[in-house]
Amino acid sequence: MRQNPLMMFLRIVVFAIAVFVLNFPLIATLLTSFKSDAEISANPALWIDQPTLANYAGILAIRDRFDIFHYLGNSVFAAGVGAVLATLLAFPAAYAIVRHEVGERWLLPMVTNLRAIPLIIFSIPIYLVYQQLHLLDTKIGLALILCLVNLPLVLALIVNGIRSLPIEVEEAARVDGANTFAILTRIVLPMALPAIASSLILAFIYSWNEFLFGLILTTQNAVPMTVGASFFFSASGGGVQWGIASAVMIISTLPPLLISLVAYRYIGRSLAAGAVKG
Amino acid sequence: MEIADRRIPYLLVTPLTAFLLALLAVPLAIDLVYSVSRVTFETLRAPRLIGLGNFVAVIQDAGFWQALWFSLKFAVAASVAQLVLGLFLAVFLAPLLKKVPWLMALLMLPMMLAPALVGLMYRLVLHEFVGVVPYYLYLYTGDSPAFLDAANAFRTLVTIEVLQWTPFALLILYSAYAGISDDVREAAAIDGAGALKILRHIDLPLMLPTIVITFFFRFIDSFRVFDNVYVLTGSGAGGSTTTISIFIYEAFFRRNDIGFAVAASLIFLALSFLVLIGLLRLGRRHA
Repeated sequence: MRQNPLMMFLRIVVFAIAVFVLNFPLIATLLTSFKSDAEISANPALWIDQPTLANYAGILAIRDRFDIFHYLGNSVFAAGVGAVLATLLAFPAAYAIVRHEVGERWLLPMVTNLRAIPLIIFSIPIYLVYQQLHLLDTKIGLALILCLVNLPLVLALIVNGIRSLPIEVEEAARVDGANTFAILTRIVLPMALPAIASSLILAFIYSWNEFLFGLILTTQNAVPMTVGASFFFSASGGGVQWGIASAVMIISTLPPLLISLVAYRYIGRSLAAGAVKG
Repeated sequence: MEIADRRIPYLLVTPLTAFLLALLAVPLAIDLVYSVSRVTFETLRAPRLIGLGNFVAVIQDAGFWQALWFSLKFAVAASVAQLVLGLFLAVFLAPLLKKVPWLMALLMLPMMLAPALVGLMYRLVLHEFVGVVPYYLYLYTGDSPAFLDAANAFRTLVTIEVLQWTPFALLILYSAYAGISDDVREAAAIDGAGALKILRHIDLPLMLPTIVITFFFRFIDSFRVFDNVYVLTGSGAGGSTTTISIFIYEAFFRRNDIGFAVAASLIFLALSFLVLIGLLRLGRRHA
């Protein structure tokens, strides 16, 4: 269709406004993180008089009471293990569901409907079970829950991925005498790699962003970054150090932010497909 | 060989099934037992059965219904607004996004951030002394409301939820819109249909299943909202922003009333299922 230049201009304006408004808290926090404490109270506006990295250096200075590397490390571990475990559990199951119709009627709908169930419902009994098993405040305990939380999306994505593969290659391999395990690891796995990659990426981001279970199941040793950042606010009581707080928030959001900027194409496509078919 | 092969698919679903049994079935069983028991942290292994007393207590609790009503209002307002905004942006920006696809990355960013962290960011942005929003409001209007007090908290929280998750609606609706073949639209244009007419009679009907699904996802997520509300107001603002998830959390951790909290969560689960089935029915009718 022909494009009216005036309309295109209008679209660019609307786009710019939308990006600004939707990302507003991020933009404002990023700017604040480069302001000195004095400037923050004198100049809350959207520009910086004297940019400084003092807040980022300040995070390192308060490591004795707020160890950001501890929280970051916990999040990397729990989100990483949660994402990998969800994918490891989902991949063979997805293959059985798609190619052998095992679990197509009960397992697949059960897992995808899990997406609609309020997480808080599981938090209480899981807390009590963890207490008995000494899994409270452990990274592995948190990772197991993050795995559970991400299974609906991961399974839907991998099922969609395997469904779109041509079955002929697998049939040819079977005729050549390959067993199911060989077919799974040498043929299906490499071909389903894009689906697996995007499920790993999304599961990692969502695990990183999870808050409720981190709040409930951890207290010290395994506290993830999202919960740690909220500690920073509650611990400092009335006098929040806004400069350092902003720097903490920016660092906490950086991993998912960078991943999604690099992999936006993957993520966008998978989310759209996962939502529509899942 | 043949017989062994038939067992293999079952082996492949075993790890996932076992994992789900351990992390879902066991907790659910505990939920069911504790919901009809009197139990505290001291008597976890010896719950005393008391029948349906916990459920009666929940149903008679005004706070429970208040929290449920808040979550419902919140979910309806937020998901409708996200859908309308997302739909507008998806359709209006489609020609631009088609030309320069990476622009979508900038629109998608908010939904990639942790809702809890976004909530914390708004504590800065809305802060009456150092916040940028009150600053500009004072500058241009001479006044700035207390965004998180009882009178304004609902609107503020809905706005925050909408701004963070409109990108989700936009992304999914845009991919549905972009999937409609231009031939259909051009044929209609040749027949003399204007842009609005094409939108109403061709695009929107074709996008309807996606619209219903988008609403569904946004509704269930907003209905169980916890993170951003918890870090922004908690059960503060005079308790006026207690969502149902926060209510259950507090019954468990603050009041130490396990049976009551579990009974409340089971009622919440049942209500969620009703909503789920209702929305699925609606979706099927339109799909």
